[in-house]
Amino acid sequence: MRLLLIEDDELLGGGLCDFLRVDGHAVEWARRLGDIDAYRGEPFDAYLLDWQLPDGSGLEWLRARRNGGDLTPVLMLTARDMLHDRLRGLDSGADDYIVKPFAPEEMAARVRAICRRSAGSASARIRVGEVEVDLVARCAWLDDERIELTSREWSVLEALVLRPGRIVTKGELERLVLGFESELASNAIEVHVSSLRKKLGRELVETVRGLGYRVGAAA
Amino acid sequence: MRLSSPSIGGRLARSLVLWSVLWCAALGAAVWMIVQEEVAELLDDTLQSAAEGLIGPLALSLTEPVELSTAPRGPKTSGRFTWQLVSHQGRTHLVSSALGAPVAPLHDTPKPGFSDVPGWRVYGQATGHDGQMVYVAQTTEERVEAATEVALAALFAGAPMTVLAVLWLRSRIRRELQPLRDLSERLAHYDPMQRGATLGTADREELQPVHAAIDALAGRLTRRVAHERAFTSHAAHSLRTPLAGIDAQLAVALREAEAAHRPRLQRVRTAAERLQRVVAALLAMFRSGAEVQRSQIDVGALAARLPIEGLVMETRGTSPLNADPDLLTAAVLNLLDNAQRHGAQSVTFSTPAANVLRVHDNGPGVDPARRRELRAAIEAQDYAGRTGLGLMLADLVARAHGGGLSLPESASGFVVELDLGT
Repeated sequence: MRLLLIEDDELLGGGLCDFLRVDGHAVEWARRLGDIDAYRGEPFDAYLLDWQLPDGSGLEWLRARRNGGDLTPVLMLTARDMLHDRLRGLDSGADDYIVKPFAPEEMAARVRAICRRSAGSASARIRVGEVEVDLVARCAWLDDERIELTSREWSVLEALVLRPGRIVTKGELERLVLGFESELASNAIEVHVSSLRKKLGRELVETVRGLGYRVGAAA
Repeated sequence: MRLSSPSIGGRLARSLVLWSVLWCAALGAAVWMIVQEEVAELLDDTLQSAAEGLIGPLALSLTEPVELSTAPRGPKTSGRFTWQLVSHQGRTHLVSSALGAPVAPLHDTPKPGFSDVPGWRVYGQATGHDGQMVYVAQTTEERVEAATEVALAALFAGAPMTVLAVLWLRSRIRRELQPLRDLSERLAHYDPMQRGATLGTADREELQPVHAAIDALAGRLTRRVAHERAFTSHAAHSLRTPLAGIDAQLAVALREAEAAHRPRLQRVRTAAERLQRVVAALLAMFRSGAEVQRSQIDVGALAARLPIEGLVMETRGTSPLNADPDLLTAAVLNLLDNAQRHGAQSVTFSTPAANVLRVHDNGPGVDPARRRELRAAIEAQDYAGRTGLGLMLADLVARAHGGGLSLPESASGFVVELDLGT
């Protein structure tokens, strides 16, 4: 998953970035609201948003994004633990709310949960044709046989599965999987898609000519 | 032990009754004296008039002295009144025929004017004929009886008025104290934290300064609470974020570290988690304005939410609690932390009474002397250096709920009971 972490604390931000990257996610880190402009137009699977930022309120930023039609799942990370704060956060468009201090494992699980729900699945296991994908175990089964995937192959599959029936352009897929590394390897996505087809069957990932890739029936 | 305060109404009523009794006694004494005086004067006038009326007929009717034993009796009068005609030698010429009237002369020697002899009040007047004296007398008993009757009549007429006055004044006292009761009622529902909250105008001029003082106090408290809330917000951010950062960094380090280093890192992470719990509990407890927000709590669900690694948690026949979930969680977390640090491997939750949570660990417990010391510290709320943070927080949480903390005896382990009030 490609995640945008908006957190001003160096210790926490650095720790979360590293933790999520070790988990195989592509993580961009904005330390201020002003830094988010650098990611304008970039696709993300979720925003991890702090409330109190040096140059403004994360909540206000979220409200503006929601008003602008941005439906990206948002997990609020905040020290505000009062009931009215939690209610404000959720009512302003956050999909989930976690109070600091928290275990990064729990945060990662919540990120997976909001992304899953955003993709329309309550379960961590998603079936696409003959293939079953486990978003928690980060693995896939074909006809009940566990198929080993590399980290990048998994990331490509996850990005497509979380957007069922939707055409994902190559550029979008590159940024979702590789983040800003995408400029370094322009054919990487084709390689990973090809590899996925070999392991999980050609029908899993559909190529929509001239537009991109799609998993699952057209939305 | 609660000491009852003296009642203003009761004190006023007692004073009123006391002063009424004293006033009645003083008034009665004054009335008594005046009546005695006036009645005696009236009766003396009567004696004098009677004597003057008798002089003429008596002086002319008898010119010869009469022997005492054969002194003729005059017309009959009541036994309480008598008269004598006495010669200048002190011999009785004539006496009234009243029953019990003395035959012997009231005075042996002529004694004009008023005088008292045993049992009688006497008025003597010379007839002007050969030194004869007319004595008219009334029994002292009759005079006292007359004076007493008049005085008692006056007192009995005045007593009901006094009783009515006392009752009316007591009623007035109660009515005048009603604004104080109303003020108590208003204070019971007065929340100075509400915007624009004020006690308003007092019902009595005397209470206006009290209203003003309470409003001023509420203002000061509100400002202080606002400052504390601002501080807590800053403190929360300043403490929680670095703690989360430490945990995230440790989680990454645990993943990346060589196997030999992982136990050490895990211990550090466990300590960091403990610090998180303590900070969370402290912030929850000392956040001003964090009123108790009661809701139904399932003890099993509460225990499941408290993941303390290495501590087995069990619930035994529990009934739901009605308490603030955040505060109770903070208190129980710290009790569990205590239990673990003291070597317990398991903790059992139960509810021995309505809204009472018992936390029983299987640790070494404490000896009776230490338990007594802990109980005394909790009773006196003197925690510094006498109890750990866990017991202090648990006691504060229980007290915030209107209950308290107790440390029952136990055959094994350590038992804490949180009474969460009703």
